[in-house]
Amino acid sequence: MDDHRSGDEVRLHWKSPEDLRNGSNRGVEPAFNDGDWLGGSTRRDFLTLAGFSLTAALAACRAPIEKAIPLLVGSDDITPGVASWYATTCGACPAGCGLLVKTRDGRPIKIEGNSSSALSGGGTCATGQAAVLSLYDDARLRSPMVHGKASSWSKADAVISNTLRGAFASRQNVVLLSRNIGSPSTNAVIEEWSQLNPHFRHVIYEPVSLSALREAQSECFGRAAVPHYRFDKARVIVSIDADFLGTWLSPVEFTRQYVRGRAAETRRSQHVQYESRFSVTGSNADLRVPIPPSSHGAVALGLLRRVAKAQGLDGCPEAPEPASALATLDAVAGLLLKHHGQSLIVSGSQDVAVQTVVATLNQFLGNIGTTVDLAQPSLQRRENDSAMAALLDDLDRGEIDVLLLHGVNPAYDHPDARRFLAGLKKVRFSVSTSDRMDETSRFADAVCPDHHFLESWGDAEPVQSSFSLAQPAIAPLFNTRSAVESLLSWSGRPLDHYAYLRDYWRRALFPLQKETADFDAFWDNTLREGVFVVSPTSDPVPIAFRGDWKRAAEAVAGLARASVASPHGNTYEVDLYESVALRDGRHANNPWLQELPDPISKMTWGNVAAVSPATAAALALADGDIVVLRSGGTATELPVLVQPGQDAQTISVAVGYGRIAAGKAGNDVGVNVFPLATMNNGSHRLWMPNVSIERTGRRAELATTQRHFSMEGRDIVQELSVADLSRSEPAPLAEHHLPSLWEPRPEGDHSWGMVIDLDSCTGCSACVIACQSENNVPVVGKQEVQRTREMHWIRIDRYYSGAPENPESVHQPMMCQHCGNAPCETVCPVLATTHSSDGLNQQIYNRCVGTRYCANNCPYKVRRFNWFQYAQNPSFDFHMDSALGRMVLNPDVTVRSRGVMEKCSLCVQRIQAGKVQALQEKRVVADGDIKTACQQACPAEAIVFGDLKDPHSRVSELRRDHRYYNVLDELGTRPNVGYLKKIRNRIETQELK
Amino acid sequence: MTLDSETIPPPGEIAIPLVPRPRWVEGDLPSFAQITADVARPLDVWPQKGWWVCTAIALAALAAGAGMVVYLFAHGIGVWGLNNEVGWAFDITNFVFWIGIGHAGTLISAILLLFRQRWRTSINRSAEAMTIFAVLCASLFPLIHMGRPWVFFFIMPYPNQRGPLWVNFRSPLVWDVVAINTYLTISLVFWYLGMIPDLATLRDRARVRWRRTLFALLSLGWNGSQRTWRRYEKVSTILAGLAAPLVISVHTIVSMDFATSLLPGWHATIFPPYFVAGAIYSGFGMVLTLLILTRKTMGLDRYITGAHLDAMAKVILLTGSIIGYAYLTEFFSAWYKGDLFERFTMISRATGPYAWCFWIMVLCNVVTPQLLWQKRVRTSVKALFIVSILVNIGMWFERFVIIVTSLHRTFLPSAWGMFTPTIVDIGILIGSFGLFFTCFLVFIRILPMVAIWEVKELVGEQTPRTFGFAGAAGDLENEMEGAHA
Repeated sequence: MDDHRSGDEVRLHWKSPEDLRNGSNRGVEPAFNDGDWLGGSTRRDFLTLAGFSLTAALAACRAPIEKAIPLLVGSDDITPGVASWYATTCGACPAGCGLLVKTRDGRPIKIEGNSSSALSGGGTCATGQAAVLSLYDDARLRSPMVHGKASSWSKADAVISNTLRGAFASRQNVVLLSRNIGSPSTNAVIEEWSQLNPHFRHVIYEPVSLSALREAQSECFGRAAVPHYRFDKARVIVSIDADFLGTWLSPVEFTRQYVRGRAAETRRSQHVQYESRFSVTGSNADLRVPIPPSSHGAVALGLLRRVAKAQGLDGCPEAPEPASALATLDAVAGLLLKHHGQSLIVSGSQDVAVQTVVATLNQFLGNIGTTVDLAQPSLQRRENDSAMAALLDDLDRGEIDVLLLHGVNPAYDHPDARRFLAGLKKVRFSVSTSDRMDETSRFADAVCPDHHFLESWGDAEPVQSSFSLAQPAIAPLFNTRSAVESLLSWSGRPLDHYAYLRDYWRRALFPLQKETADFDAFWDNTLREGVFVVSPTSDPVPIAFRGDWKRAAEAVAGLARASVASPHGNTYEVDLYESVALRDGRHANNPWLQELPDPISKMTWGNVAAVSPATAAALALADGDIVVLRSGGTATELPVLVQPGQDAQTISVAVGYGRIAAGKAGNDVGVNVFPLATMNNGSHRLWMPNVSIERTGRRAELATTQRHFSMEGRDIVQELSVADLSRSEPAPLAEHHLPSLWEPRPEGDHSWGMVIDLDSCTGCSACVIACQSENNVPVVGKQEVQRTREMHWIRIDRYYSGAPENPESVHQPMMCQHCGNAPCETVCPVLATTHSSDGLNQQIYNRCVGTRYCANNCPYKVRRFNWFQYAQNPSFDFHMDSALGRMVLNPDVTVRSRGVMEKCSLCVQRIQAGKVQALQEKRVVADGDIKTACQQACPAEAIVFGDLKDPHSRVSELRRDHRYYNVLDELGTRPNVGYLKKIRNRIETQELK
Repeated sequence: MTLDSETIPPPGEIAIPLVPRPRWVEGDLPSFAQITADVARPLDVWPQKGWWVCTAIALAALAAGAGMVVYLFAHGIGVWGLNNEVGWAFDITNFVFWIGIGHAGTLISAILLLFRQRWRTSINRSAEAMTIFAVLCASLFPLIHMGRPWVFFFIMPYPNQRGPLWVNFRSPLVWDVVAINTYLTISLVFWYLGMIPDLATLRDRARVRWRRTLFALLSLGWNGSQRTWRRYEKVSTILAGLAAPLVISVHTIVSMDFATSLLPGWHATIFPPYFVAGAIYSGFGMVLTLLILTRKTMGLDRYITGAHLDAMAKVILLTGSIIGYAYLTEFFSAWYKGDLFERFTMISRATGPYAWCFWIMVLCNVVTPQLLWQKRVRTSVKALFIVSILVNIGMWFERFVIIVTSLHRTFLPSAWGMFTPTIVDIGILIGSFGLFFTCFLVFIRILPMVAIWEVKELVGEQTPRTFGFAGAAGDLENEMEGAHA
């Protein structure tokens, strides 16, 4: 037993800036292992395991001893500087991906995907990657607040428990309004509350709702659940405005599936996207059709009518079909029919009837049970818009006595935020578990801040029977408390979260498996792995379709007719969407995400009204012109961005901006457009027709990171058609060695290189944040981005080709190419950028004098200059100016000072760590031992890193692939980073017709 | 080298040549005493109001620039308008501009000396001074353009305890450091050496003790003996021989900052000759500007004559034509080479967002010098003054166009950007002019801005002589031998 842990007051080894008097006594309960765990385990497993024991010693020092844990390595051997890894579950969005959290000296510094997770795999999304920074958010509450004053837990508990007890006793209405809770154990607590108190109600609310999808499944299949989609099993994917690679439902998992479905060169899946805005998903589609949001139903219905007709089913009503989609519907229906049982139709519509039509399509096409799994559905989304609407009515009437708010912020993100706030004031007592004084919690009577998910125990069941555990990677930074503990405490069972969770798993989940007889072993194993999947015991029961599809089709047809009948005049439809970075706005105070370029528009720090080039021409609008959008009583001013591929009838705006109480980074960035959303037929609808647009004559400068989107006929992103693919012979890479006046560089044992598959890359941008997190890349702020001084080491170049009305697009991750003949190296006067014997182009910060000649001479323009001092400078108060925010910095990577050049190092610190590891184990570095941060984060597995000197490494194999090429090869830079050509698989709509 | 009477032609023969020799001193030939008095007058009298006004303006500009530099040092070069795409703009533009200005001095002192161009005599002193001040202004920019100027010495090859870690001799920036330092050194030596006889003159006529002591020290004990003169002549010729290649080398090397890169618009073999021509063009432009102003205000129009201005205008015409030709060649090579990137850069230069800079450059550097074919323009002081200003505007824009338009749209269109100068960019440019003019204004008050001894030599040459005189005897002898050959 580690001595450190015997005392309660031993301090942590890291410095908590403001709050060392942190009163929480809930530390980390480390895992341990008593088995022969090394057999057959990977290095990652080792690190994970080592992490438990090690961080236990560091982070859990203050925890009371609940159990004696044998350390694998004695405390004397704990080496500062060795990272520890925790398996946990992501809490950044309801998808609940499995994570591994890297901690150094007790601080979580990096999030990675948990490759043990069958759902999300080792990938993550940008939001998940950035979640580690939210842990060190200055805006987080330091202690509970009662009536706006800092208080203690005992006082807060006393007040709240009394209120609740009184409320329950006097049969008053108590409502828990929460976001989706993925945790089965937490849901069990809430379930208990409901059972014990008939006047308690749990309402799940999401600002960007999938309620209609869930309701449609209930109508069609009798199961109110979001299906678990299998994009990997589909050969034809039709998405009607569902951005499943960007934000919809479970993008990491879907990206992984999607890319796998396209990797098979002979059985490549085809993807049709009908959408209003240009989404990440649309940018990857083989056929993309811009349609206004009002036509989502008409398109679904058009497909249904054709499919039903082909299958001899009558009675499908006709509806006017949007002109843009008309030409494609026959072809797409033909494709769908051709691949019976192997297609998948998804829709992001918030209309139950449309979702019912989509569910019917999936049923008619035989997809239920193959690509649409309802037997083991997704449990990620359970929001219910009607329940929320009912709650709002009850609030209006003052019928709610106690309101508990958990993870929600309706005062910001509800379309009728004012009404909600008015109702909230009528509540006798309201409690929020928000981690900050946000738009809603500032009006709550008590705020009981929840832990950040990296500080908290927990579990998740994203898809039925697939469980994952969450464990703290750090002792709570502040005097916060897990919301579950709060709930338990208020119901008179002051259990700590850990004890409760473990007990729940013992009761509910342990019996589901038979492999392990000992619960402790089962627990420890699950904790180490992070995930636990219950294998189905019997074949799934076939799910009968019982939907009244004709009624739904009629409803959709009615809407479509009405939409056509109502004169559009000079009005447009506004379509609100979640941005890949900020999502619904809950991450608004995360500066990494604020500065993450949108994968399509490349916008940072704010939202825009995206208009089509045709609209822009008609209204004489240019990028940055401020317009006012009028819908009903609301008027919203926004700058315009001319977005190629945008539907001509639609103006798209991202939600999640315009927070007023998010924190220093998120406040007053962009405009809150949630007030434009409406409630429609009981569902929370994020589009509205009849919006007029007017110029104001004023202009705003947009903070975009890419301003030119045409490749100008240059061979930068190379493509192959599917036909070329079968035709072309694998050609060896022409290594033309031109004569050189210089002696060849001495070569070492390795030559590190990278290959990026442009066909797999979806543009999701997870790599950008992963790199930022790994390499301490500073945030520079809106003004500096406007001056194109963003510091990202990896950027994703996005080019359009074709007609601006509906262009094709490509994404190209671009970072230092580590040229063999590096133009930057020869021009540096002070040898601050040199070539390593391992093939790396390395930057020596303390030698750099900052002439920027290297950046000028870099044909890839990947070098980044520190124009100012970005760390510890109050002018750049994003996170590196606060002691708390700096805790996220990776101690293995230098924080660069003003005046030096920097750029991608191919994660040289990871390479060194991998080499050291191999050295210690007296072996050579094996292929796959070392993963760069971008590679690790990529949910599409598009990035492969390895040793080019090893002819059998994956990267070497890919370099021999006939799709391999180097960007700007003709310059003779001989890069170590190369690309695999994108495969174009156009769906020829005319031909198929 | 004695002046014996046999080599002196009879007085009548000197005025005989069919084409009259240009008279480099106007009016009645002044006496030597008169020359000394004319040139040294500004040194003796209290400056007039005009000088004070000019100096105040120059000092204000200098102070503004210095303030901007302090601000720059305090915050980082982010205060400039540079960005990820455009890593150099005003900084290196100003650097190349000032280096170019600094080219006239050495050309006049060294090359024209070697070519025995008599007209250089009255302008070489101020041209050399101007060179030194321009090189000072120029060398400011490589220093302040660094991200970390406090470690500027990393760029010098000096023995150190870091390995020793040497500089990268492959980098044109290192060549720059060497070239500029060499040029500055040679220019300073040349300028100083050329002043020694005048300093002795000043010493001899100084009435104040401290001045006499100072000039005595500076004139290194010059005694005007024939032996001194002979040695002096030899050293001058040797130094001129050494300095002449520098006129070519400095701007050649500066051009290699661009030519050795791989950027379309920079990577061109024509750059060295084109830059040298441009440098001489701009250098003469600046000499013209300065002399037109000072010859009037300092009462030296007798020594800096219309003929001088005409000669300089001809140099401008020649070098301007070379530049125009070089522009054409650049476009031709871009087209003929068939390189997409280079073609694009050249088209973008003429039609892109910075096209207005390009067309200013063409107007000033291609069209303007062609006006000088007309004698009417060459002999009009006003016209020449305007031309000289346009020349320097044009040359500043030329460097801006080369640097910024090549950088702002390079190989990957995803990384295309724009440069917009900030107040600091502009402030430091103004400050560099402040520094230059402050130095020049001080110079004309404390040192003879026309080489007294050389003018005397010239006057002596134009005067029907029956006697020898103590000045540039060998030179005169050679000259006259040449005239009779």
